[in-house]
Parts: sequence; C-alpha cells; structure tokens
Amino acid sequence: MVEGFSGAEGPSTMLRMVPLPCKCSGGFLSLPLRLALRDLRGGLAGLRLLAICLFLGVLALAGVGSLASAITASLAERGQEILGGDVQLTVSQREAGPTELAALAREGRVSHITRMRAMAARLDGSESVLVELKGVDEAWPLYGTFRLRPGAPAERPRGGQVAVGPELAERLGVRVGERIRVGNAELQVVGLIAQEPDRVGQGFTLGSTALVDRAGLAATGLVQPGSLYTSAYRIQLRPGADAKAVAGRLGKSFGPSGFQVLDRTNGAPGTRRFIERLGQFLTLVGLTALIVAGIGVGNGVASYLDGKRASIATLKLLGATSRTLFLSFLFQVGLVAFAATIAGLAAGALVPAAVVALAGDSLPVPPRLALYWQPLLASAAYGLLIAAVFALVPIARARTVPAATLFRGDLEPSRWPGKAAVLIVLAAAAAIAGLAVGTAREPAFAAGFIGSALGLVLLLTLLGGLIRWTASRLPRPANPVFRIALANLHRPGAQTGRLVVALGLGLTLFTTLAVIESNLSGQMRTTIPAKAPSFFMLDIPVEEIGRFRTLASSAAPQGELVTIPSLRGSVVAVKGRRVADMGEIPPEAWFLRGDRGLTYSAALPEGSRIVAGRWWPSDYSGPPLVSLDVEAARAVGLGVGDPIAVSILGREIEARIASLREIDWDSMGFNFVIVFAPGTLESAPHSFMATISMPEAQERPFARAVSSAFPSVSAIRVKEVVETVSAMLSQLAVAVRAAASVAILAGIAVLVGALAASRRARTYDSVILKMLGATRGRILAAQAAEFAALALVVSLVALGLGSAAGWWVVVKIFELDWAPDWGTVGATLALGAVVTLVLGLAGALPALAARPARALRTL
Amino acid sequence: MTGSYVIDASNVTLALGSGAGRTEILRGVALQVASGESVALLGPSGSGKSSLMAVLSGLERATGGSIRIAGADFTALGEDDLARARQGRIGIVLQAFHLLPTMTALENVAVPLELAGREGPFDLARAELEAVGLGHRLTHYPAQLSGGEQQRVAIARATAPRPALLFADEPTGNLDAATGTAILDLLFERQRDTGATLLVITHDPALAARCGRVLEMQDGRIARDTANG
Repeated sequence: MVEGFSGAEGPSTMLRMVPLPCKCSGGFLSLPLRLALRDLRGGLAGLRLLAICLFLGVLALAGVGSLASAITASLAERGQEILGGDVQLTVSQREAGPTELAALAREGRVSHITRMRAMAARLDGSESVLVELKGVDEAWPLYGTFRLRPGAPAERPRGGQVAVGPELAERLGVRVGERIRVGNAELQVVGLIAQEPDRVGQGFTLGSTALVDRAGLAATGLVQPGSLYTSAYRIQLRPGADAKAVAGRLGKSFGPSGFQVLDRTNGAPGTRRFIERLGQFLTLVGLTALIVAGIGVGNGVASYLDGKRASIATLKLLGATSRTLFLSFLFQVGLVAFAATIAGLAAGALVPAAVVALAGDSLPVPPRLALYWQPLLASAAYGLLIAAVFALVPIARARTVPAATLFRGDLEPSRWPGKAAVLIVLAAAAAIAGLAVGTAREPAFAAGFIGSALGLVLLLTLLGGLIRWTASRLPRPANPVFRIALANLHRPGAQTGRLVVALGLGLTLFTTLAVIESNLSGQMRTTIPAKAPSFFMLDIPVEEIGRFRTLASSAAPQGELVTIPSLRGSVVAVKGRRVADMGEIPPEAWFLRGDRGLTYSAALPEGSRIVAGRWWPSDYSGPPLVSLDVEAARAVGLGVGDPIAVSILGREIEARIASLREIDWDSMGFNFVIVFAPGTLESAPHSFMATISMPEAQERPFARAVSSAFPSVSAIRVKEVVETVSAMLSQLAVAVRAAASVAILAGIAVLVGALAASRRARTYDSVILKMLGATRGRILAAQAAEFAALALVVSLVALGLGSAAGWWVVVKIFELDWAPDWGTVGATLALGAVVTLVLGLAGALPALAARPARALRTL
Repeated sequence: MTGSYVIDASNVTLALGSGAGRTEILRGVALQVASGESVALLGPSGSGKSSLMAVLSGLERATGGSIRIAGADFTALGEDDLARARQGRIGIVLQAFHLLPTMTALENVAVPLELAGREGPFDLARAELEAVGLGHRLTHYPAQLSGGEQQRVAIARATAPRPALLFADEPTGNLDAATGTAILDLLFERQRDTGATLLVITHDPALAARCGRVLEMQDGRIARDTANG
C-alpha cells in the first residue's frame, strides 16, 4: 500500500494527491484552455456548421448595416453638393421679392434655381417626353462639379442651349447639336449630362433633367403666374457660419411666406429617410436570417459535442469536473464563433464596395466607402449573442454526460442544462430583442417584427413536434425501407424539429416577400393601369382651359376628361400652432411637410365621402373654408371648426375646417388633402390639371396634338410612370431578396448540418439494410420519400404562414387589394422544396456509399 | 464435384488501401464447404477471419480469386447484385448484434423476409422469435432488450429466411459466459433445424470444438484445416 494513502490519513491526504487548480500555472482557466486547445488539434471540421451559419448571418447584418451607413454617410458628407448650397430655401409658384433677396444676400452668395415639369419635344412634333426643366443662374453650381459626357467638367448651357439627360436624348432620338422644343423655345442640345451635383437633393422625379440657364428658361415662357414651378435659393455661407443656425433663423423669418428651409446637414431628407427605413427593414430581414443561422449554430455545436461523448465520459473518468469541461467547450465554441463573426464582419464590410461594383448607377447616392464601426459592432453583438443563445444549451448539456456512458449505449436522454445556462440564454435573447428594438428607427415596427419572428419560431417548433408525433403514430408502411424513412422523422435524435424551424422560417420569409412583391408588381401591371387615366395633364393656363377642352374632345373623342384647378401651398399653422415650431414632424402628418397641392371646388370631389361636418353649398361665398382628409386631420388632432393656415404664393390664408373627408386613394383620380371652398383661391394665379382616359391607340396622337397646341402643358403618361415605378420596385426587390436569400442559405446550411449530424445513424441503417439484402436504389427511394414528405409539409406551412403575413402587409399596412401572383409564389416555394429535396438526397449519398464490411467494423 | 459445395473459393485475395498504405489482408485463400457443415474459423486478431467472412458473404468484394456461394459467382456481381444474392440465402450474426434501433424485435426479424419478398413475413418472424424464446418480446425495441435477447433477435433475423449459409462473427463476444453458452446452443439448434451451413468466427476453443471442422487462419491464409471427431 502506498504510504499516506491509508484510511487513517483521511481525505485531506487524498486531496493532496489530486492536482488542484493552480494560480501559478495560469489561473483557473488554464486547464480548460489547455484541454480546449488539445481538442482543437483534431481540427475544426466538427464546428464547420457553426462557422458557416454564423458567418452567413453576420455577413447579412454587417452588409446591410454597412451599406446603409455608407449611403447616409455619403448623403451627410456631400450635403452641400446634394443640397446645392449650405442652406436652401424653396418656394412654390413664385420667386423671392427684392426684400427677401436682399435678406438672403446678407447671408452669403446666393444662387437661384427654378424647377418645373415640362414637355420636351422633337421639332417635328413626332415625340414628346416629360422632363424636369431646371433653370440655373450663373452662380450654379455653388458646390460640386457639373459634367457632360464623357465626363469632363463643363460650362452650364447658355441662352438657347440645353443640356439633357442621356435617356431623354435617347427617347427623343436627338443627338448633341440638334434642337428640341421646350415650351415656346427651340433649344440646342449642347451635351448629355454625366453629373448633376444637386440631383439627389431633388428627390424622385418622373422625367430626366433638361438644364437651361435663366435666359433659356425665360425663352420657354413656361414660368407664368399660376404655373407649377419651384424656386430654390441656395446660399453659400461665409466661412465659419453655422448652417443649422442660419437655416433656423431663416426658417423663422421666411417660413410664414411659404418658404421651406433646409441646411446641408440634411440636404436630402426624403432620400435619407428612405435609406434609413430600407436599412432598418433589411436589418430585420437579416436578423431573421441570423435566427435561422442560430438554429444551425445550435445543431452544429450539438452534433460536435455529441461526437465528443466518449471523450467527455473518459475525461470525467479521469477526474475532470463538469465546470472544467464546460469551460473547455465554451473556449472551443467561442473561438470558432469569434473567428466566424470576424470573417462575417470582414465580408459584410466589403458589401458596399461590391454593391458599387455591381449596381453603382442604380443607387441614389454612391456609397462613401469606409469602415463603419457602428453597424459592424452591432452585427458582431448580434452574432455573438445568437451564438450564446443557441450554443450554450448544448454545451451545458454536454458537461452532464456521465462517465458511465462508456459502459452503456449512447441513447442518453436529453438532460436539463442547468438554471444558470437557461438564465444566460434568456438574457442573451432579451439582449438581442432589446438591441433590435432599441436601435430601430421605428421601435414599434421592430418589436412587431421580432415578436412575429419569435411567434413563428414557436409555431414551427410546435409543428416540428406535431410532425414527429404524427409520424410515430402513423400506420407502419408495409415496405421496410419506407418504414425506416418514416422512423427517421421521429426516431430519438431525429432532426425533424430543427429542420422544420430552420427551413420553415427561411421559406416563410421568402414566401412572404414573394407574396408582397408579386402583389405590388401585379397592382402596378394590371390594377393601376386599369383604374388610372391615360394622362395626367399639368399647367393648363386658366385662360386656355376652354381651348384645351375643345382640343381634348376633338383629338380624343372617346376620352373622358376631368379638369380641376391646381395651386401649390404649404400648411404653416394648425390650431394656431406654427408648423415651423413643431420640430420633427411624425410620418402620419406628412401633409405638414413641404408644399402640397391645393384646389377649390363647389362640389364634393369624386372618390370622397364626408365623415364629419358638412360640405359647403355650391354657391358659397363666405369666409375661407376648407375640407380636410380625415386621416391627416386625425394625425394632428384637427376637427371641424378648427383653424388651419396655408401659405399660397407668399400670402398666408387662414381658413376654418368645414368638413372631414374620407378619400379613396385607390380611385387614381385627383385626390387633394386640402380642398378650399369657392371664393378664396379663384383670384390667385393658378392653373388647371386634367386627367383624360382614352384607348391606348389614341394616346400618342393625343400627346402630339397637345404638345404642339399647348407647349406649356405637361402630359404625364401613366404607363410610363408605372414603368418607372415598377423598375424602382424591382430594384428594391433585388435588395430585399438578397437579404432574404441569406436566410435561405442559412436554412440550407442547417439542413446540410442536420444531415451530417444524422449521418452516423443513416449509415448504420443503410449498412444493415444492405447486409439484409436491400439495394441502394431502394434505400435511396426511402430517403427521397422522407425528404419529400418533410419538404412538402414545410412548404405548405410556409405557404400558409407566408401568405398570411403577406396578406397582413398588403391589406393592412399598404391598404392594397389582395391579388398576389400565385404562380410566382408557387415557383418560389417549389424551388425551395426542390432544393431541400436535392440537398437532402445529396447529403444522404455518403451514407449510401458506405461499404458494409468496413462500416460494420467502425459502427 | 464443385457443384455440391455451398462455399467454393479459390485463391481469394483482398487488399485494402493503395500505394504505400496498401495492406494485403487475404493472400490466396482456398476453401470448400459442403452443405450442412459447421465450420469454426480460428486465428489471432488481424489474421483475416472477419475479412474472409466479409468476402464470402458479399459484404466486401475480393480483390482477386474466385468465389462461388450456393452456385452464384460472387466475384462477378456488383454491390446491388450481391445484396440481392444475400436475400434469403445468407444469414449473418455479428458480435455487436447490429439490430435496427427504430424497429421492434418483430420488425427486425421480418425485414430480410420482406426484402426477399416472402409471403407472410410477420407470421414467419413471429414463429422464429418464438423458436428462440422471445415470443413475449415481439414489440420491444432493441434498447429495451438485454444483450442476450438482442443476440437472439439477431439469430432469429439471420435464420428466419431459412438461408443456405449462416455466418456468425464471434456471436458471444459481447455476452457473459452463461448467456454465451445459451446463445451457442440456440445457434447450433437453429442450424440443425434449418439445415444451414454454418461458418462461425471465434476465439473460443470450446465453440470450435462443437463444430465439425476447424480452420485456423494466419497472415491472411488458412494455415490448418482439421476435422473434429
């Protein structure tokens, strides 16, 4: 007997023989770390699924975040150029007066730009196209460089010259040096615009630019009292001046006269809002992809640790504690998760550059290529938190593997991972939700999205359980290989539940997007053109309206013409409160932002319904009254009898609200938020708008007739607008699909991982069946049946859930008709199902190829 | 004369791996076994016993030589044809039982009958399980059975199709002595009852003594071939 090991010495002597944690050799972490590093000598192949899934998820988030940041940074950095100055004041249908100009000139150098919609036509009248006519003065551009093709800096056009966007020249079929007609002027095309520095600040326009100088603009004769044009005054402030402060000051003094004031820090608010919203939406899509990836992370870690059961049991046999093992595996998984996250961040950070290379021209602003730490840090946090949520439970379970496993089979029941692990997982999940909602531009939307995603995960988990339960209770197929296929769906350790969640989430997301997208594009293609008139006509002079009606009835005898007076104006006060003092205007109160179209009418407009107050008598001639859209009124708490002040052509008009209307925005006619009663606006300079419907064959001749008889009238062909918007929607769809594809990719990675995890069991079955006389064809057929059943169930569920989610977005949020293109949706799903089936079978092939004699030695 | 042998193998070779890692496992084995014989295959670990059984049962394809099993030329058959050739003709019992974990005892025994397209596979399987004393364990899964019971299911599975040839690779290796003896009694009883030819791999001299013939392998060759009693 060894001295000192006798019972008389007691446990204290025995303890001395056990190596205790020693601070001198690197602290209490050194042993787990050493074990982890030794374990990793065997390679990281077992954690490949964890790495791939985390990489994909982090890549999606980091990519979306970096791209959105790169675009908003570009907007901020190029603020002066985009805005065209340090401060810009815009006003509708008038120019600044001498006193106003003098006040502006005191702030710095002023440049005056006039913008309006107009028609540009070939001299022979055979083709006319809607353009964004832009008249610039000598100071333009205050910032940035104007370039003509092929790209050298160019002089702005002078006198009878015009520079046009390349697509305009193409549409009109004119070359540089040839002449076109705009209004009353014949202008010579001096070049095709390659760079218009202040283009982004103008926001979305229907036509491409036709750039003239002030003399050229005057020659067109289009700027008339009542015509719809915008005057912009850009100021180059003196060095050291605070643009925001100047803008605030000018806003106060010019606001009441109807001027909108912007400064260089927010030169394109609409574009910025759009990019931020899109970025937010894509981030949530990316987060869904990361949740799918998380399931893969969980699977990867679980199957990796499953393969380590014998090692864990052996280490325990040798005296390793659960804590040591937990820390050791935490190191291993953490190391791989960290590396995958870093790789995902690196790839994500390159996304802006990749997007520039692939789609530079179709972006609203070229992204500013740089490293954006904020989205990268957020993505890293999401990635590591997701890894914690999904990996901690398998790690915590692995440490509970008893040493006795070595003497028993490995069909151990799943053990409780421990309270601490569960609490950490819940905390990490809460942190993800908190991060997503806390950093969201619209927290309620983000919370709703996260809540829906979690609800969906729960629903799919239940469904997975239901499939397993059903499979275990179905009558056993007569064919033994099919019996095994059915058993594979519910056997202990079957991946059915995880697969249903991962594939279901990815396919549901994809189906939802397909439903929404096909619904939107369907509306654009069919519903809108069916309801909408053929043309919207703008800037019909009041004195010409009679002649216009005559021309319309002769040029389009079957045409249905509706005309309505039109002015521009901005709301400057509601219930005595100045809009300028309101700070950030909520999205629902959009009608307070900038210029709005106004009209007056004796009769209730078509498509409107009075919901409060009364419509005025047709011969009304009292103090100013307005009728307001009920939703706009609700957004700012306005009711019948409340005052509202509107600035029109620099004059402020205070009116009382006589009624609230519910507007059918789908009617595709003229829908004005604010309609004045007769007697107030008739004397203000204004013009008429018209809609006209006609058979498609008459559209071109009609446009030609209007263009030559009324050069000042802009004819917007609805089909062209639909095409433009459709093209924009499809570009958006590409971005959304790219983000959603990551969810599908992650789902596929989960599928492949699940197959890898069950490969041992599948190989075993396959080998035993071969030993008993089954051919490979029969075994493959059974596996095909298994995957087909799974793909079918998951696809049907995705169809149901995705359609429901899509219906909610289309009908409840967009308030559009429910008309998805089931062909597209079905094709999307079928593709998903076929991919599942093919990958499942491909994953099963190695098990099928196992040689029985060799496999029997090792299994 | 050749036609009367259930196993007729000559100059069988088996090599695994390639290049420098190539290992010669069987080096020209010649063996003839007549119908109804019981043969024990002895030899140290690595002598090639299991590999010989694998090539004779069609689980492994020989690298060279000729193998005829119950008249079928195994060297000329592909993997699926070998699987078909096993159906109903060859039964195999392995040391680690190798039952299908998701199937009941009854289903495990019925599988080879179903694959061979036999009529009433479940009735035959039930009868076979009753014959091995497991009539009360029909609906049990392998995980619910003891090691001895699992091996009895494996024997029933091997003998149920009434194969001409029964292979057993150390069938008692995973069992205690008493259970092992009972299993051997059962194996020989089933062999007698079915009239099958039995080739059993073992390290156990007592088991070898119960066979009519003993082959001793060494270095991939049959070093000695003796008849008992």
